[in-house]
Amino acid sequence: MNKINRRNFLGAGLLLGASTLLGKESSKKIITDTTGEFVPPVIAFPEKKPMKTISDRPPLLESSRDIFTKTITPNDQFFVRWHMPDIPMYIDLETFRLEVKGSVEKPLSLSVDDLKSKFEPVEITSVLQCGGNSRKFYASSGQATHGVQWGHGAMGCAVWKGARLKDILAMAGVQATAKFVGLNGLEKPAVDETPKFFREMEIDEALSGDIIVAYSMNGEDIPYLNGFPLKLIIPGHFSDSWVKMLSEITVMDEYRKSFFMDVAYTVPDNDCECVISGGDFEYKRKPIAVMKVKSVIGYPTPNTVIKKGSRINVTGIAFDQGKGIKEVMISLDSGKSWGATTLQKDNGKYAYRQWNYSWEPKAKGEYTIMVRAINRIGNIQPMPDEIGWNAGGYQYNGVDAVNVKIV
Amino acid sequence: MKITLLVATLLLSATAVFAQVAKPIEMPYVDYPIAKGDHDEVVQQYCLICHSFGYILNQGQKSRPYWTGTVSKMVNEFKAPIPKEDQQTIVNYLVKHYGYESTSAGH
Repeated sequence: MNKINRRNFLGAGLLLGASTLLGKESSKKIITDTTGEFVPPVIAFPEKKPMKTISDRPPLLESSRDIFTKTITPNDQFFVRWHMPDIPMYIDLETFRLEVKGSVEKPLSLSVDDLKSKFEPVEITSVLQCGGNSRKFYASSGQATHGVQWGHGAMGCAVWKGARLKDILAMAGVQATAKFVGLNGLEKPAVDETPKFFREMEIDEALSGDIIVAYSMNGEDIPYLNGFPLKLIIPGHFSDSWVKMLSEITVMDEYRKSFFMDVAYTVPDNDCECVISGGDFEYKRKPIAVMKVKSVIGYPTPNTVIKKGSRINVTGIAFDQGKGIKEVMISLDSGKSWGATTLQKDNGKYAYRQWNYSWEPKAKGEYTIMVRAINRIGNIQPMPDEIGWNAGGYQYNGVDAVNVKIV
Repeated sequence: MKITLLVATLLLSATAVFAQVAKPIEMPYVDYPIAKGDHDEVVQQYCLICHSFGYILNQGQKSRPYWTGTVSKMVNEFKAPIPKEDQQTIVNYLVKHYGYESTSAGH
């Protein structure tokens, strides 16, 4: 099949003598801050600027907050999140193929060139956000969650270009019995028995217009760590089904139970998608899907010192699931009073919408800046102490806050 | 720490329309600090098969029921090949160095 050079990092060697292997290379000193919270090192990975490295294997890289002063996230600062430790380190486009199979009239084996030449190219600007993004802020609501504690930096917005999934499925010819589409990429577990990273969607969703198989990100090839050469784009949805290094599309008559659909990335199946009492896994589950309205401050960053009387441009981004941002409000007094920000150019319903507020602090002291977005269907961000809690720490969209000092 | 910016160099020399990486990328290795003692060698032997120690360090301090549940998840869901007695060793290590004793399932 595909000729792929795969380098299994340290791989099975770890089984034999982890301490010895790990002692071989010295690293930059990793510090713990005064609150006891671990501070991840900042390291440059291939095709990336130095980023907060939550893990190197599988790679989990977080963008810094100042990235939210831009409506398009540069490829070399775009966050990274893989699920499996064994990722191909080289892909030969001569032999790489996307297989379309299962309940189809004509199975396809498509090269990246096929995708570029045989289908109408579509471009869409869309936010890509990890379901666990901003998870650490659940702790300020009173109870921390499972999982690595991402700040806001597990999201970005890019211009994606590719072929429509429905056009690809039309070329293959979906059989009348088809009910689901399964998706997977080339990442592999270290242990054969580990469940594969496999995602599913209903056939109707797969045949809807907005989903694309992207081969380009912000006008360039998709970086390796963001899923070169192909990535599924599902605008408005959390990124758990935005499969990286997409290699197989399987049309299925039956739903296939899988860890990554039925256990991971699920929340209680109730109106608030949250735990009201008892334990989270006592509830019937549902997979997370569309994103919730959210705004984040890009400047100033926490603990910025500002001179009294200077004029600063408070700015950031807002987005939702594609209904559109109606308003972003700002508070400079810890949420007691709220004013309007100015919304900038609309780059499409799935894109970041930048907002600005010109502020000239008149008195010295500590300030808490907060922002709160409302979308066109009236969804509003909850205050952090009002947000519904779930054990996985998914879908956080509490009001963002940044402390600054005026001197 | 080993950082190879092979790819960055290639990108600079390539045109924007053809940014494809021509050689295998090389990933940096991160030497996350691992608390010593209490059979850290058992923890390393099993946990590092699938993921770096960053997965542990970046979760914050967790309760005994939390770490017990997490180790069970690794075994039952992810099929980590950890013998029963070593599972208990790993839980004890995690609670001592990255958690706290508690009977309630607080996170």
